[in-house]
Amino acid sequence: MIETRTQDKTCFHEPLPLKREPCIAVPTDSSTIRLFQRDSFRTVQAEMRSGWAVKIHYDWRLSRVLDEDGNVLDVILWDARRTPSTLAERLSMIQAGRLLPETRTLLERFPEATPDPLGAMSDPNWPEPEEGEANLLQEATTILAKRGVADAAGNIDRRLDMLVSATAELRSAWTTNEARCVEWAGLFITEADLDNQRTKIPLAIADAPNIDGAATALGVAPPAHAPTEIEWAALKSHASGVVTSSQRLQEHEDAIREIASDYIPSLSALMGPLGAAKLVVLAGGRERLARMPSGSLQVLGAHAAMAAHRRGAPPPKHGAILFSMPQVSHSPRWVRGKIARFLAGKASIAVRVDHFDGVPWDQEQIDGINGEVEAIKAKFPKPPKRG
Amino acid sequence: MRGERRKRDGRIEWRRWDPTKSKVAAALQRTKGGPSELLPQTGSTCLYLGASSGGTVSHIHDIVCGAGNHHGGQVVAVEISPRMMRDLAALAEGRNGLVPVLGDARCPEMVAPFIRGRADWIHQDLSIADQAETFVRMAVAFLAPGGVGLLSLKAASERASDGDDDSRFAKAERILGESELEVVERIDLAGLEEQHVVFRCALGAL
Repeated sequence: MIETRTQDKTCFHEPLPLKREPCIAVPTDSSTIRLFQRDSFRTVQAEMRSGWAVKIHYDWRLSRVLDEDGNVLDVILWDARRTPSTLAERLSMIQAGRLLPETRTLLERFPEATPDPLGAMSDPNWPEPEEGEANLLQEATTILAKRGVADAAGNIDRRLDMLVSATAELRSAWTTNEARCVEWAGLFITEADLDNQRTKIPLAIADAPNIDGAATALGVAPPAHAPTEIEWAALKSHASGVVTSSQRLQEHEDAIREIASDYIPSLSALMGPLGAAKLVVLAGGRERLARMPSGSLQVLGAHAAMAAHRRGAPPPKHGAILFSMPQVSHSPRWVRGKIARFLAGKASIAVRVDHFDGVPWDQEQIDGINGEVEAIKAKFPKPPKRG
Repeated sequence: MRGERRKRDGRIEWRRWDPTKSKVAAALQRTKGGPSELLPQTGSTCLYLGASSGGTVSHIHDIVCGAGNHHGGQVVAVEISPRMMRDLAALAEGRNGLVPVLGDARCPEMVAPFIRGRADWIHQDLSIADQAETFVRMAVAFLAPGGVGLLSLKAASERASDGDDDSRFAKAERILGESELEVVERIDLAGLEEQHVVFRCALGAL
């Protein structure tokens, strides 16, 4: 069950007030100043004119109702205590497309009027900023800007980006260092099996007091040539670096698994939390992945192949992330494209379920999808004939 | 700005404005008209869309506001990235009259609450598709009659389906020409900033 939210989060949307029959608003008492205890706004009722209220112009200082000739029908000033933080609240309200309390009160009084967020700026009769107002605005905008910067840490997309990118960099460094460490140790300890004992070698070097000790830990004969003392120290610290970065890599990936299983549960169930998180980061956020056509999702991570395709090469069948799924990489070459397209479609639905607050997929649905993958494979058991 | 060159001449301090780092400075060098026609007036209201970390904005602020804003100008600098806003907000703390706005520079409603009136000078420098359409929307909403509108168009940000750089520039020029704006000058920044053209626009008589 997918629920879609129609509201576009990225842009300003203010539902326009319902069209009602126009009526002439007749304030009971003209040219009066009233104090509203409840919301502490001062109301200045301008002289009655016979125009229709058509627009409400507003900024953070005041709201005005205007008729079609630009005559002011009603005004409410913001005369609460002015502090930078209260102003920051008001500015963020306007920025989010919500109406200020004064504007709302005026809209209740003149339901036929339309609030115009850009009107005040071009209004020739709009009051000039008073002494000190520029400074107040300055302080309030700095508060808003800093709050926005601080709120960026609440954005899971940004946190996943840091984690996934850090993991990718760490892994590429780890691969190089681990390979060097094994080769280095293998130069001395010639009897060790560099394939079957591979994972034990960095640990053995890091924990041993000397090269003979490392050979003993690996269960083989001591080497014919030993490194010098300072050379051994370098090898040992290199090996400890590899051991530490293995642990660090583990921690990074555990953190990604935890966040991804919570943030994108269906996509994580379908393709594993690490792959799911990589897809979100490549797309530039969960929302963008959810709004992406599944054909684009299918080739995420195949930038070079897509660029070549634009110059005439055949299109890529899948990006790096989809290929890392065993359903794709362990299938015969001639069905990989079909399976990648099918899984991209399912992944696309999964991320939409996650982003638009659907019910996360459970194992039953994942099994169903895997069953369909098997059906595709069974349908094309032999490679197509080349002709 | 980081690593910038300054020199002091009595009480006056001069900051080097690098045309290879700032598109406005590059446009000043390449324009066929008077360079001062591209710049805002002292004490005016300016809108900068896509302010990044505030390199060019700081120079515009020097011209419009001066130290402590003794000219009484306003520079509204809009930037969507929190990372860039971090630097911009720090810059604004020492510069009175510089208003940092964290928000989408494509939405007039995001910017309107902060600007004190229509802008005498607008510069747009966004790395997005549809730069010309965005500029028309923002300039029509914010540019004051007689004001200067500068659009730094980055060809690489437009869609690949729009053809090569030249056809992307031509398309942008057509969009500007068909709008309420009038293209006064097209300034090619080749040599200083590749794949960039600055369009200087004014509100047309339309």
